[in-house]
Amino acid sequence: MRSTVASMLRGIERYNPENISTLERYVELQARENTYDLEANLALLKLYQFNPGTYQNTVACQILMKALTNLPHTDFVLCKCLLGQEQMEDANVKRIMYLHDLLEMCQFSTFWNEKDQYSNLTTNIKDFSDSIRKYVCHVITITYQYIEKQVLSQLLGNVDEVALQAWMSKYGWKADEDGNVFIANQEDTVKTKNITEKIDFDSVAGIMAACR
Amino acid sequence: MYNEFVDEYESYPLEDAENYHYSARGEGDFSERTGHYPTYSIPEEVKKYITYFRDAIRDGNVYDIPSLYVDFNRLTEEYFKTQSWPDVEDLYGNKLVEQDNRDDIFLILYRELYYRHIYARIQGGPTIPQRFESYYNYCNLFNYILSAETPVPMELPNQWLWEIIDEFIYQFQSFSQFRSKLGKKSEPEIEMLKESPKIWNVHSVLNVLHCLVDKSNINRQLEVYTSGGDPDSVAGEFGRHPLYKMLGYFSLIGLLRLHSLLGDYYQAIKVLENIELNKKSMYSRVPACQITTYYYVGFAYMMMRRYADAIRTFSNILVYIQRTKAMFQTRNYQNDQINKQTEQMYTLLAICMVLHPQRIDEVVQSSLREKTLAEKMARMSRNETPEFTQCFTFACPKFLSPVPPPFDSAPANYHKEPFLQQLKVFMDEVQQQQQISVMRSYLKLYTTMPMEKMAAFQDLSEDDFRNALLCFKHKMRNIVWTKGTSGLQGDFQSDSEVDFFIAGSMIHIADTKVAQRYGDFFIRQIHKLEEVNRSLSKVKV
Repeated sequence: MRSTVASMLRGIERYNPENISTLERYVELQARENTYDLEANLALLKLYQFNPGTYQNTVACQILMKALTNLPHTDFVLCKCLLGQEQMEDANVKRIMYLHDLLEMCQFSTFWNEKDQYSNLTTNIKDFSDSIRKYVCHVITITYQYIEKQVLSQLLGNVDEVALQAWMSKYGWKADEDGNVFIANQEDTVKTKNITEKIDFDSVAGIMAACR
Repeated sequence: MYNEFVDEYESYPLEDAENYHYSARGEGDFSERTGHYPTYSIPEEVKKYITYFRDAIRDGNVYDIPSLYVDFNRLTEEYFKTQSWPDVEDLYGNKLVEQDNRDDIFLILYRELYYRHIYARIQGGPTIPQRFESYYNYCNLFNYILSAETPVPMELPNQWLWEIIDEFIYQFQSFSQFRSKLGKKSEPEIEMLKESPKIWNVHSVLNVLHCLVDKSNINRQLEVYTSGGDPDSVAGEFGRHPLYKMLGYFSLIGLLRLHSLLGDYYQAIKVLENIELNKKSMYSRVPACQITTYYYVGFAYMMMRRYADAIRTFSNILVYIQRTKAMFQTRNYQNDQINKQTEQMYTLLAICMVLHPQRIDEVVQSSLREKTLAEKMARMSRNETPEFTQCFTFACPKFLSPVPPPFDSAPANYHKEPFLQQLKVFMDEVQQQQQISVMRSYLKLYTTMPMEKMAAFQDLSEDDFRNALLCFKHKMRNIVWTKGTSGLQGDFQSDSEVDFFIAGSMIHIADTKVAQRYGDFFIRQIHKLEEVNRSLSKVKV
């Protein structure tokens, strides 16, 4: 399907409104099978932009939800830029915008607490929660050297011990006896830099030669 | 190839162009037209100029055309500062061109300049019929170029070719904006717009640009060029011809701009995937084109939260502009455009530097320290939202809607909607990052700090404070281009000046300390001294 769609989007064909139904089915497929194709989804939003009469709110919502699953990438922002003001007024779209805000601002506890209120949006997206957990793990990986186990489980949405162990082994994180989980050594990547200027002879030679 | 696209989803108006009759002066029933055509006889110098120009086009005289093209601006300053150039009827009337189709090409090119001049100089802008006529003139021009079996025998200076594409998109943009402003329009005007949905239709504009890209094989040429090969080997009959090659290249930039105006930043960057932006190339010799390219690329990066890429893009071009400043000092409307765009890019750079402080070229940095920009940056760093709104509004492109407004519903601000949507996206991002600058200023003060203590400083619960720290890390780590021609590719990197990590409940902070740089300063002073010496030695006592 991916390659058929890709060939549909070449050159001027990309703007052919007859592609809309295929692309809509493709969004459905991505949601069902937990696959993802940003470019196809953007092409569909663009077709909606060119042909406002064909706009399908539920499909647009699915695209936005799928974009959330690809955080920390900024796909969601790209999709948002192709929506119209009227479309942003829709109640479901507004809810998704709120979820996006929570996730971008890393307010994970609030997100997990309120998630059940949005089940109408999440149920059709396969593995939605796990995709979000992947994003949470990304943020933890870049932030922590080690983290309290209880905080880790809280950030992941109060997952049970088994699930927690599974996530830890997926990322190679090891727990110690003090209740801490070692994430990664950050001291090598995050360190104070002193930048001083080095001028070598070659770069001065030219200008010296020019001055007589 | 070109004609295959026509008729596919709707018949593109390009086809009708030949049947369209330019309404002759006086024949039109649009009273406002007459205001633009004061009666005057054509000045002798202008008559001479038109005759030369006509002959140069007739004979395909490649060497004279560039200077004749430049002369158009000079004569505009002298004779047509605020009134339009003589229209085509006047040229016939004065026997400056022949009626026997011999001068068709000249007339298309003349009309291109004629309407462009009306857009730029005539108070109140072009009328609806003029907008339509100019559109059909572009259709005629592109039809002539694209439907030929063999490359057409026409060679125009690169500057002009760039301006044709640039103006074509500008007029489309101007029309879309104009069409959306229903409030000030009369009934007959709205009728006229309603009856002509195909004029300046977004599909036709895209179609022209895509056809020029395909006809010239420019993407394949660029691919071969960047891998060190000879582009001519894959260019094909048309692509080898400078007219097609350059129109193809400029159309890619045109697509970049068009996609940006529609808010499609992904496609905007994607169309350039065969252009190596960080290198000078043989295609980049028209300064206005270079500057436009970097402006839109930088803007798209900023919207995609790729600040490091945006900052690099803006600094590169701003350094280039500083070095070549002398070129843009004479006042004409192309240079006004360049100067405006430069100012916009400094503003965008200021925004990016507030959101993502990092080290940049000293020359550009010193411009940011100038008063007005420095004040803007200070206000933005203090999270003053109105300043962000103002800067964005001033520096963003003129976004447009690809479809006509609902003509029958109550007038509203349809022309503002696309802009407001982009502004909202940007301001939402700013909101999400609101806490970061405060955090940064606190972090800067310490090397290690217990979370609990710093949370208390900022009056936050420990949970909220942790979220804010995570958000800082997340927002400061963005995709950055590293290699290859595609501007979309890149790796996650963190170029933040202040960085930190958390170990348990302790924050470890790393700062970047930059020692004073003196090399640049000395070199500049030495050059200055040399220049003074040179001018002194020229002085005769």
